[in-house]
Amino acid sequence: MTWLAWRQFRAQSIAATATLGALAIVLAATGPHLASLYSSAGLTDCHANCGALAGAFIGQVQHGYSEKVYYLGIALMCLTPAVIGIFWGAPLIAREFEEGTHRLAWNQSVTRTRWAVVKLGLVGLAAIATAGLLSLMVNWWARPIDKAIGYGNSSSPAEFSRITPVIFDGRGVAPLGYAAFAFALGVTAGVVLRRTIPAMAVTLVVFAAVQVFVPTVIRPNIFTPDRLTVPITATTTGLDFRGTRAGLTVVGDYSKPGAWILSDQTITPAGHAFAMPHPPQACLGTGSLQSCFSWLASRHLRQLVTYQPASRFWPLQWTEMAIYLVLAAGLGVICLWQVRRRQVVS
Amino acid sequence: MIWLTWRQLRSQAIVAAAALATMAVVLAVTGADLATQYRTSGLDACTANCAAQASNFFAGIKGGATELIFYIGIFLLYATPALIGMFWGAPLVSRELEAGTFRLAWSQSVTRTRWLAIKLGLGALGAMAAAGLLSLMISLWSEPLYHAAQKAGGNNVLSISRFSPPLFGANGIVPIGYAAFAFALGVTVGLLVRRMLPAMAITLVIFAAVQLLMIGVVRPHLIPPSTTTVPLSAVSMNGEGESNNGQLFLAVATVNSMADAWIVSARPVNSAGQPATTVPPACMQTPGVNTFTQCLGSHGVSIQVRYQPLSRYWALQWLETAAYLILTGGLGALCYWRIRRLA
Repeated sequence: MTWLAWRQFRAQSIAATATLGALAIVLAATGPHLASLYSSAGLTDCHANCGALAGAFIGQVQHGYSEKVYYLGIALMCLTPAVIGIFWGAPLIAREFEEGTHRLAWNQSVTRTRWAVVKLGLVGLAAIATAGLLSLMVNWWARPIDKAIGYGNSSSPAEFSRITPVIFDGRGVAPLGYAAFAFALGVTAGVVLRRTIPAMAVTLVVFAAVQVFVPTVIRPNIFTPDRLTVPITATTTGLDFRGTRAGLTVVGDYSKPGAWILSDQTITPAGHAFAMPHPPQACLGTGSLQSCFSWLASRHLRQLVTYQPASRFWPLQWTEMAIYLVLAAGLGVICLWQVRRRQVVS
Repeated sequence: MIWLTWRQLRSQAIVAAAALATMAVVLAVTGADLATQYRTSGLDACTANCAAQASNFFAGIKGGATELIFYIGIFLLYATPALIGMFWGAPLVSRELEAGTFRLAWSQSVTRTRWLAIKLGLGALGAMAAAGLLSLMISLWSEPLYHAAQKAGGNNVLSISRFSPPLFGANGIVPIGYAAFAFALGVTVGLLVRRMLPAMAITLVIFAAVQLLMIGVVRPHLIPPSTTTVPLSAVSMNGEGESNNGQLFLAVATVNSMADAWIVSARPVNSAGQPATTVPPACMQTPGVNTFTQCLGSHGVSIQVRYQPLSRYWALQWLETAAYLILTGGLGALCYWRIRRLA
């Protein structure tokens, strides 16, 4: 039975190996360059002024092709579970139903349950292994970036921080859970719908919905977010302005390098969100930056920040992987139950 | 033949119609809200110096459902052509070849080429219509956001521009071209590979590769970019500075005099027009953004910008759509030639 499952899985495994190989080549070719950028920025054993050095390093990463390679790796990681669910999961049993070959397969000496268990088990483990290897490669490659963000100051771009929503999906151990879940979802859709293409479409839609739902609703609340209130005084105020001084947003100065900022608002004493008046009298045009800060300080504003600190990255990853693996196991049980229930004639 | 095509594509058409209807409902409900917010923020009436209203408007939106829907809309507009290619295009012929039903279909009174032409034609028209409707809905919904970004003059939080590479393919008429191309690609790959699942996978990979190629390599050169040199004071930075060994790099965010243009590349040059890669020693220790850039400017550093002005937006849209439609025609011809030779 193992040989049969392998034989049916052979083409997909070749595709997976080719993808792993291609990514390995790309990452191996660009990894040394990133590491050399890291060491030439002076971050290898940094004792002082690490924040500024880290900021400079991140800026260099954004300037070169390393940024594109990083996003390519993350995009591949985010797509891989979906592709596994569609191409490995959905056709696994649905194809047999469509072609009618289930009649032959279920009339052998191997019981239905064993047939389903071996197929699910082999391909499921391969899915988890593929996702795991891909994630390992991306994590190895991105280590310099992670360390630099750990040093970072508040002006480090949060784009590369691995705890922020989209990048989180492509790092650590969570992709293993996603791959297992997408695969199990695909097989279940295939068993229930018994046609390959509808199963693929349903798998895609449901998996996409889950991947949007979890980071927006569930993940921020797995651990209670930390709150930070920064009173806006003349020294802690900051103005986020890009380019000319006309566009201003007040920010309280705080430093949470690599954190996932859930909400970041400037609040008036009455509790409402602060809106820069237009035209702002004390801050723009005639006033200097200092008088602007004093005017802002006189309004007794507070900066209310809700965030998940960077240290929660691994607990969140393990928790999410566990949730998805439990869901995958549940779906696997449903599959087995449905396979046993099916009439051979249908 | 037309009825047969409709009958075979019926379920895909229903799914597409349902998806479009759902999207329409969601966008209609949230779009009215967004338009109201746009009016009450005062951006509607504002004609100049609107940056404060714009940042309030964006602060009210950021982190909420509107931002999520915006990103979902963009993702959908990129995903839809790929899905059309995979689920409509690839199975069109490969399914028949795999299941053997082509023997019945090709021994009828309708010739093979006509069979293919009608299936391909109707399918492509359906794909273009679906992508066009989706693009129209999302463009209408996003109007307030892009208007606000334009009025803010590039100093906004969301920093979006229809012209920027990631968003260019999610606006206007190019999704129509993508959808037609993806569909034709799916049919061609299905015809060549003759197995449905590999055809779907290969279509996805080739389509993704073509899209990346277009964004990265072709689009900047469809119309040769204009070049100009602007002083440092006219440019807004987005994290700039110098690294430890004196390397100068300036990450230009927007050029204030051309806030709507697409900056293809912006790099510092010295007064002779050569690329300036090192910081002048006198400027190394100056603190603060403004004094640093003033110091650089006094040493003759300015920014050489290669850009596409806003006036070229629609020209680029039409050119890119035409390019994809020509590719579609080419693939159609390839299918036509191939199906006559198939045993």
